[in-house]
Amino acid sequence: MKFNICDSIFSLKMVMRQMKIYIKGISLILPLLGLVGCEQFLSTEPDSTRATLKTPEEVSQLLSTAYPQGNYVTFSEAMSDNAGDKGVGTDDRVNRGSYLFEVVDAPVDKEDSPDMYWAQAYHAIGVANQALKAIDAAANPSSFSAQRGEALVARAYAHFMLVSFYSKFYDATTASSDVGIPYVTEPEEVVIKKYERKTVAYVYEMIEKDLLAGLPLIKDVSYTVPKYHFNIAAANAFASRFYLVKKDYAKSLQYANNVFPGGDIAANLRPWNTEYLPLSYEELFKRYTRASENANLLLVETNSLYGRFVASYRYGLTNPIWDEITAVINVASSTADWAYPLFTQGEGNLLIPKLTEYFVKESVNAEIGTVYVMVPLFTAEEVLFNRAEANLLLGNQAAAITDLNLFASKRIRSYNAANHAVTLAKMRAYYGLVNTTAGNNQAVLNTIMDFRRLEFAQEGMRWFDMLRYGIDVEHERVGGQTIKVPKGDPKRQLQLPQSVTLSGVELNKR
Amino acid sequence: MDIFYRSIDRHRSGGLFLSAVFTIFLLLLLTFDSKAQNFNIQGTVKSATGESLIGATVRVKGILKGTVTDAKGAFSLEEVSAQSTISVTMIGFVSKEVPAARNLNITLAEDAVALQDVVVTGFQQIDKGKFTGSAVTLKVDEVKIDGLPDVSRMLEGRAAGVSIQNVSGTFGAAPKIRIRGATSLNGDNKPLWVVDGVVLEDIVNISNDQLSSGDPTTLLGSAVAGLNPNDIETFDILKDAAAAALYGARAMNGVIVITTKKGKSGNLSISYSGNFSTQLKPSYKNFNIMNSAEQMSVLGELERKGYLNSNILDKPDFGVYGKYYSLLVGKDDGTFGIPNTPEAKKQFLLKYANANTDWFDVLFKNNFLQEHSVSVSFGTDKSQSYFSTSFLSDNGWSVADKVNRYTLNFRNNYKLSDKVQFGFSTLSSLRRQNAPGSLSRQSNPVDGTYGRDFDINPFSYALNTSRTLTAFDENGNREFFRRNFAPFNILTELENNKIQLNLADIRLQGDITYKITPAIQYDFMGALRYIKTGREHMITEDANMANAYRAASTSTIAKANKFLYTDPDNPDAYPVIVLPRGGFYNRAEDEMSFYNVRNNFRYNKTFFEKHAVNALVGQEVKFTNRQSFNNTGYGYQYGQGGVPFVDYRILKQTIESNFPYYEMGKTFDRFAAFYASLGYTLNDKYNFTAYARYDGSNRFGKSNIGRWLPTWTVAGSWNLDREEFVKKLSWISYAKIRGSYGLTASTGPATNSAVLLQSMITNRPYADEKEAAINLASLANLQLTWEKLYSGNVGLDLGFFANRLSLTADFYLRNSFDLIDRIKTSGIGGQTFKIANYADMESKGIDLSVDAVLYKSQSLSWRARLTAGYSHTQITNVDNLPTIFDMVKAEGANIQGHPVRSLFSVDFKGLNPQNGVPVFINENGEQSSDIYLQDQNTKYLKYEGPVDPPLTGGVNNTVIYKNFTFNLFLTGQEGNKIRLNPLYKGTSNSRFAYSDLDAFPREFNDRWEMTGDEKKTTVPSIPDLTTNQLNLAGIYPYTAYNYSSQRVARGDFVRLKSVSVAYKIPAAVTRRLGMTAASLQVSAINMWLIYSDKKLKGQDPEFFNTGGVAQPVQKQFTASLKFSL
Repeated sequence: MKFNICDSIFSLKMVMRQMKIYIKGISLILPLLGLVGCEQFLSTEPDSTRATLKTPEEVSQLLSTAYPQGNYVTFSEAMSDNAGDKGVGTDDRVNRGSYLFEVVDAPVDKEDSPDMYWAQAYHAIGVANQALKAIDAAANPSSFSAQRGEALVARAYAHFMLVSFYSKFYDATTASSDVGIPYVTEPEEVVIKKYERKTVAYVYEMIEKDLLAGLPLIKDVSYTVPKYHFNIAAANAFASRFYLVKKDYAKSLQYANNVFPGGDIAANLRPWNTEYLPLSYEELFKRYTRASENANLLLVETNSLYGRFVASYRYGLTNPIWDEITAVINVASSTADWAYPLFTQGEGNLLIPKLTEYFVKESVNAEIGTVYVMVPLFTAEEVLFNRAEANLLLGNQAAAITDLNLFASKRIRSYNAANHAVTLAKMRAYYGLVNTTAGNNQAVLNTIMDFRRLEFAQEGMRWFDMLRYGIDVEHERVGGQTIKVPKGDPKRQLQLPQSVTLSGVELNKR
Repeated sequence: MDIFYRSIDRHRSGGLFLSAVFTIFLLLLLTFDSKAQNFNIQGTVKSATGESLIGATVRVKGILKGTVTDAKGAFSLEEVSAQSTISVTMIGFVSKEVPAARNLNITLAEDAVALQDVVVTGFQQIDKGKFTGSAVTLKVDEVKIDGLPDVSRMLEGRAAGVSIQNVSGTFGAAPKIRIRGATSLNGDNKPLWVVDGVVLEDIVNISNDQLSSGDPTTLLGSAVAGLNPNDIETFDILKDAAAAALYGARAMNGVIVITTKKGKSGNLSISYSGNFSTQLKPSYKNFNIMNSAEQMSVLGELERKGYLNSNILDKPDFGVYGKYYSLLVGKDDGTFGIPNTPEAKKQFLLKYANANTDWFDVLFKNNFLQEHSVSVSFGTDKSQSYFSTSFLSDNGWSVADKVNRYTLNFRNNYKLSDKVQFGFSTLSSLRRQNAPGSLSRQSNPVDGTYGRDFDINPFSYALNTSRTLTAFDENGNREFFRRNFAPFNILTELENNKIQLNLADIRLQGDITYKITPAIQYDFMGALRYIKTGREHMITEDANMANAYRAASTSTIAKANKFLYTDPDNPDAYPVIVLPRGGFYNRAEDEMSFYNVRNNFRYNKTFFEKHAVNALVGQEVKFTNRQSFNNTGYGYQYGQGGVPFVDYRILKQTIESNFPYYEMGKTFDRFAAFYASLGYTLNDKYNFTAYARYDGSNRFGKSNIGRWLPTWTVAGSWNLDREEFVKKLSWISYAKIRGSYGLTASTGPATNSAVLLQSMITNRPYADEKEAAINLASLANLQLTWEKLYSGNVGLDLGFFANRLSLTADFYLRNSFDLIDRIKTSGIGGQTFKIANYADMESKGIDLSVDAVLYKSQSLSWRARLTAGYSHTQITNVDNLPTIFDMVKAEGANIQGHPVRSLFSVDFKGLNPQNGVPVFINENGEQSSDIYLQDQNTKYLKYEGPVDPPLTGGVNNTVIYKNFTFNLFLTGQEGNKIRLNPLYKGTSNSRFAYSDLDAFPREFNDRWEMTGDEKKTTVPSIPDLTTNQLNLAGIYPYTAYNYSSQRVARGDFVRLKSVSVAYKIPAAVTRRLGMTAASLQVSAINMWLIYSDKKLKGQDPEFFNTGGVAQPVQKQFTASLKFSL
């Protein structure tokens, strides 16, 4: 109990001093003295449950939440061509609005809504900025270098996802005039702060700056559960994705190769056609998002209902679409089968057991609670595809085909290298392309795209690829008109939350 | 009014002495005047009420001749000139001059101006004539209701503008007190309690909503539950900015200052006061609940509609039907409990149809509440001492509750010299209380219900349990039905599941006063207080709450029982029991240390006999540490010497669900303030006061932004009655106009001037992937500041006809701003919903109190006092985006353009003619049975009215006839709306919709039964099970009906709060018994709700029936005995 000048000793002193003549003077001066002393007295934290950010460990703990804990899979998947209209099923605003390319009319606390993703991504950025501020204020910022690395990369990642979803997708030729999203680099300390949407090019510049500054600082030893943080592998995977979007293939390749020691991706791919094959769907759920899975490079817990409704959403994976997605088996063998198990939850509700629900009850015996889904943000598979694509576009077609075969070898039931090899001829035949350099390259690229679509089905990555490759979308409706959203259509950009106008930020034009 | 009379008595005796001295002086000097001989005067002097005035001075004007009246009020003057004027004076009365006459019968009007009453603000005692604020002083004798142990409840209806709602009547729970209505949206709206200058801090902060939640913490809600009412001398309720100015930033909600008794110089005086009360058992005739025959016929319909089939054996709860089906199941020895024949069934059910169990009879008793208080006072010129002790014991209205309270009070004052005085006081209390075992209430916005697991509140049990159930079987043994898959009997449960609360509260206080010069005085005050409470929630192995964890008799039950455990690492596994033995020993502790130091300099001087100046400068420091702790103890074996038997999996379950099985948290309040006041009075008529205060608090967090706040008030008053032109109006005995304007404040509920970080465990499914993390709970808000209030008050105090009629009226306008509420931001900073100072509110109101002596003679008097307060609040700016569920709840919501805490309803549009299911205007503006309660589109909701009554008041009548005093006190409120208790249970549209366990209200007799009924009734149908499961899947029309415009009543009521007769034993008798005074009293409290909305059908308009530890205020009879030695 510290009292300082304000304590009872003070008042005793006062009793003694007031005996003297200058009573009035003292009574005026003492309060002023007291005022100064009281500052310390009044700087006591009001409660003990507050954490501080004094040590690197504490900053690391804070950074555990520097990842967007909103789920983009629900709206991404519904906007992509992986979704069709079943005519029946769970009617969910996010699912419906996204499929119909309307502004999703769902509040920020509605799970999976674009508004929630926006809020959560910026929350992650706010956390990173808070961590960086604490590091800068520390007496010895150098001992926080690993934390600084994580914060910078996490900040870059959240902005990267936001600019991808909410702005026009990166195109080097128009980026310097396309409207970006606010790039926030310091904690917000007022109730309503004004922000500015600069250009997409500016956002990319800032992302690159943070990424390059942060990546070399990252140390895996600073994490207790590295898979839930930007570990070295995940950060390199992010860099590989970033440069792929920027079409800087050499860098994309370089970072892809840095992900695993010696560039050995093969050993880290999901064992769909071996260990996964005999598992029940419950067991698959348990394994797919486990940190111990080598393929998972970065996981995040998201507040999401996706695990509950993935199969039953009205606008979701249908049998014809699954047939379309899996048809790419023909580049290996028309008689082969993919190892992915397809489950149904009731008529026409299809499910590949990947992401599931984690229900956190309000209290031990409560019947209500919060729903979470663990989402893999970066996987070994993506790194493999990035490497293949980068190699291809750098002119190393053979390396790309090697990676495609590597993928096939892990995905085809009873894989037999002799019968199931992915070859240029098979690819050309499947895509109906001629045997020219351009035709061959196109065939390989198409295969990469289709393998990606297949591998990441029901994981939301397809929409990202459709943006990146500029693939037109056509959504059919049962008993309604087909919705066509071609490349360049402003509806491909998510609308910002209405409340951004409070911060002086303009909405997207749709 | 009463105040004035008492003071007059005091001064009358003083006047007698002074007049006598004066007269002797006159007689000594002036006996030689005897010129013109005219006549002798014989006369009497009486008061306006006819009492003889003893010691009035009678003088012949202009000459030195006079006398005083004798014991009969008579006087005689000899040799008085016929032309002379006779003047009669007496202190406490208006002087009178009359022409001389042989017989003079002079009546003097009482002079209220001579009153010397003071207002105690806790910082100062201000002469009422110089006071500029709006305050009500209540002497405890006037407001005390013998037999009410909590003083806060005594103020109901006593002071204009003070609204008190007994949301729960349980001992220790606080009533909802508002002085002039609410000032804040989310912060505290309760007044500040001050005892002898020291603020009474709450042990735990109970929020506005928590107050009516029935949670066990509410037992700690009343700040004054530890005070012995007999120790209290006065209450001063400080209402406006001027009255409460010296509390500065804590005064936004008004202040109630309690002054306790002091020792008096003189002989040893011992007083005893004893109250003996009983509270009446509630009765079914006051409630609208089906008897067992009616209930059984509805159960028959439910059976026909498919609800009560043998599959209810898989339900967690069942009553009579469940028992029937369970007896049909064969036993191991091949016998059946009951043969499967229609006759046997009929006979079985008939037995329960005739049961008509009176649960009130089973669970309640006419209790005995006794309160004994002894006080001892004595003293000399140099020291005075007051000691008191009291004991309160309530053996419980229900079988589950019980209270004992002990208080001790020592107060000593010493006079070291003419300059130095000091005093010490010790105030302590001890409380031991039993309450039914209760957990915290949980809200479920999904289906729109509030729930409490294992609720065994006797009052809500009696109201909600079917009267077909029986507590005892035909052999007199306890009969068990099923709850949570385990056997349940309410009596057994109350014995095996209870909360014991212990509270110790000690306060030490010391004061020093040093008169530096006659005009300058220094005061020091230091106080410390320590409170420790423990709440032990004891659930034995025989409790249903423990047995629920062991209910797994069939695989269906095991899968359905939420108290069993499924290992997340083995999701397909069968749920297992994790509490194989024992019960629970759960403990919650709250502790508070409080220190308060204050230093004042006062200056008081009158210049040239007309300029009175007083000034005050001071400084104050407050320091409060609170600690709260709770622990869940698993597997405690009460019958086995208390050895815990803990299955590790119950801890695993607890940890996996991210629930802390023990918690401890501390809060630290630091408060410093500097204050000054300056008062100036001209000619005793014109008063001006200015106050300024500078407050600092640590509430906002480590950052020093917004930490300090200056507040100020200016006020003035004009004692009109001291003006010559008013003095001429003999019918005006007192008149004063007051006005004040100032700023007060409150810290509000936010603490994030610096960034708010909280430790947490990440929400990930696997134990080895969880991490300790830090959550950015709130961004910093450099703009965070105090909630503030500008208030203006104009008041008028008037007394007529020697104060036989007096009136106080106050009109106020208040403007609250910088109020804290939720605001939606762009989210770009990382926090979409922020708590910020942006909301505004206006309020205005009138306080009126009228006192009248309706009749007065020597042996009979009748006094009446009427108080009324009207306050209207309106939120002028808030944008907190509530959901429908937030707005329809009984506690109300804060919405722009409406009063604080307004009640909204789902707009009911009738019943569906096809199936009798209710239809509403839903969130999209469509007529539908499907309304999504979590939706934010609230524009189709119907505004009902404020939850807090705008108009409150009381009427008190006291008739004194000789030694008898009759008192009749009515309270009332008007203008608010009440959400009726829910008609349907949470799961009304599931298979579990209707249970044979629940009592049905009589409304169900009028339910929709066939097409066409929708024209006659608004009570929904009981849909058959198929309709229910097919058409109503995923929608909740029945719980929405609970929140519809059909389920709202007006809150207006008039209540006979208390009626009493007291008899003062004549002095002759008491003297013989060796006593100085003695009296007896009998009273009845809360006897009659004279008027209330018919729709309430027995629901108390003040009470929130939320289960847990909540109970309504009870009907009570009290006999009291008081005597002094």
